[in-house]
Amino acid sequence: MNNKTISARQFMYLVILFLIGSSILIIPGPLAAGAKQDGWISAILGTVIGILLVHLYHKISITIGNKTFVEAAIDIFGNWFGRIISFFHLSFIYILAALVLRNIGDFMTTQMMVETPLQYTHILFLLVVILGARLGIETIGRSAEMFITWMIILLVFLFLSLTPQLDINNLKPMFGSGLRSITSTSLTVIGTPILEMVIFLMIYPQVKEKSKAKHAWLIGLLIGGGFLTLITLFSILVLGSDLTALNEYPIYELATKINIAGFLEGLEIIVAIVWMLTIFFKLVILYYASSLGIAQFLKIDDYRILLLPLGMGMVVLSIIAYPDVAYFESFVNSTWLPYATMHGFVLPLLLLIGAIIKKKKQESGRSRK
Amino acid sequence: MKGIRYFWGKSRLILIMFSYLIFLSGCWSSRELDELGIAVALGIDKTEEGTYSLTVQIINPSEIAAEKATTRPPVTLYKAEGETLFEAIRKMTKKAPRKIYFSQLRLLILGQSLAEEGVLPALDLLYRDAEFRTSFFMTIAKNASVEDILSVITPYEKIPANKIMDTITAAQENWAATEGVYIDQVISDIRSTGKSPVMTGILLNGSEDTGNSIKNIESPDAPTRLEIDHLSVFKDDRMLGWLNEAESKGYNYIVGNVKNTLINFPCKEEGSGKIGVEILRSNAAIDAKLKKGKPVISVEIEAEGNVGEVECQIDLSKPETLQMIEQKTEGDIKDKMQLSVKAAQEVYKSDIFGFGNAINRKEPNYWKKVEKEWNAHFVETDVEFDVKVNIRRKGTNVQPVQKEG
Repeated sequence: MNNKTISARQFMYLVILFLIGSSILIIPGPLAAGAKQDGWISAILGTVIGILLVHLYHKISITIGNKTFVEAAIDIFGNWFGRIISFFHLSFIYILAALVLRNIGDFMTTQMMVETPLQYTHILFLLVVILGARLGIETIGRSAEMFITWMIILLVFLFLSLTPQLDINNLKPMFGSGLRSITSTSLTVIGTPILEMVIFLMIYPQVKEKSKAKHAWLIGLLIGGGFLTLITLFSILVLGSDLTALNEYPIYELATKINIAGFLEGLEIIVAIVWMLTIFFKLVILYYASSLGIAQFLKIDDYRILLLPLGMGMVVLSIIAYPDVAYFESFVNSTWLPYATMHGFVLPLLLLIGAIIKKKKQESGRSRK
Repeated sequence: MKGIRYFWGKSRLILIMFSYLIFLSGCWSSRELDELGIAVALGIDKTEEGTYSLTVQIINPSEIAAEKATTRPPVTLYKAEGETLFEAIRKMTKKAPRKIYFSQLRLLILGQSLAEEGVLPALDLLYRDAEFRTSFFMTIAKNASVEDILSVITPYEKIPANKIMDTITAAQENWAATEGVYIDQVISDIRSTGKSPVMTGILLNGSEDTGNSIKNIESPDAPTRLEIDHLSVFKDDRMLGWLNEAESKGYNYIVGNVKNTLINFPCKEEGSGKIGVEILRSNAAIDAKLKKGKPVISVEIEAEGNVGEVECQIDLSKPETLQMIEQKTEGDIKDKMQLSVKAAQEVYKSDIFGFGNAINRKEPNYWKKVEKEWNAHFVETDVEFDVKVNIRRKGTNVQPVQKEG
């Protein structure tokens, strides 16, 4: 049905962009609020746990063979139960996509265009995403290859130009907030974005070089997690943990602090560009995965006819998903982690167990004959 | 059938393109330059009824850009009062011809009565609103009302707010008795339990009646001028009082703000000649340790300087003479720091140096115990100073020009 493929390298880029997208602005605040000056250690901890998750996801994907999550679930658990599991998986992706869309809307209306109504930002952004998803995974992979350079250049430029403002005292006392609060805060990173990586199970079959794919996923995770750690670290180093936690978008605030020799100022837009680029890729991956999954769920040959109707639904869902930013903050802090654990860990585990049992049965059946 | 599908394929693309046009033509939230009043300075004070009174200095673009001198002032003031700051800002549209735009703000002046009452409530809007950037200096009107200070027309620099900002930067870098502080620094200091904020004062020198007229800049010696004063001391978000020049300098030595300054002392015990030393750079390190369960702060300063001015006959070719100068310089720096700490501990009882934060960094467990009543502990904390000055050069002369006798 869809035999387009991406290379392992492109897959790695997608993982990096996916991890940084939307987390770059959301993550530093809660981390600094939870673990104070040790928030960056929590980010490292979250990434380390991500390594274990990638091993699990890879294990699943070789067990289910060259199938997406939805195909495999229907194959293993049968038409009904398999579809129920797929439904939950797809709803997770779809809701996550709507939330990510809302993130960009909230950011634009908070920081840049205060008077513009949310839905117009959403519609405009989503139209580009739909175009991207329509062109398929091959195009997405190749454009990721092009844009990742820009993202890295801009982020490195941001970091370098902030070096005069760094105050190492902001990190002391190290481990002062206690091991317990460091570990409990790392759950925030595990919820957003580490567990969200489960959606790559919809794309993984399309990665060409299977032998390199796992390696690419791990490297992508380390680079993406590394950038998240650096961003948190720099926020704390420049603003201090208190102001990092106080700001809705600390990294944007960080960029306002850039002042090179008194003339290079007002570079906030760098952050906005990085944010737009990464969130575009995160959204296009989510959108592609969910429409592909829904097409497989409904046994539709071409996922592309679903793109427009799903988009209309997503604009509405992104508006009604939560009433205000305060609701979203408490949602991210308390609801999201169990929700993401359910869909990013428990369901895949169930699938893996099912797949192993089925394989054993087939093997024993074969040997009996 | 094939024709219809072909047409649909093409027209769908065109439809999408047209829908883009609809959105692009509007430019929602666009802001044209000729619709904005660009604010460069903002003054906030409390009225007697307890409402906020707001004064905004807006640049007159045509005057700034004019090549020939005009008789109209380069800036305009607008005033408004309101229950909240935001209300006052919006009420200003009743008087100002344009909506006021705050992104280019250079200076915030707080009235003394507001500062004594507490500044934190007024700062929330300035830190919350997306239009305010954090790159403006926070100052306090010392001897005049906010409005009087903002209406002074300055010579040399057309925009008064820019003049003040440049003066603060220059004074901070070359004289070191003041410090330009930004809003996030102030908020972070107020919220932190281990440090209290300081802010620069602004003095009105001369009469306010002459200051607000263009006549003020018609003579080379402008009768009314704006001056940067020393630092004000805060405790939490309330202003308590002012440090004098020596204490302000001492403060800057301790927190490591001194880039370049000058130190004077007499050559000998008796006589009128003086020696001036130019400090080129200084590094400060605040360290904390516990001695018998009590915190001891040690401040280490390392500075480098030149002999700048010698008014008496001493033999500058001898290394011992330079060592003597080094010792006297060290003594002077130490005195100023002691004065500063004394003022903070005895007069204001407020930890403006961040000693509490230093203790938190080094002894987090002890800090957790004293954090709540830190100010009471601060007053009794011992502070040790260790100053090391290196005088490397003595300018272009080998010996003083002063002759013997």
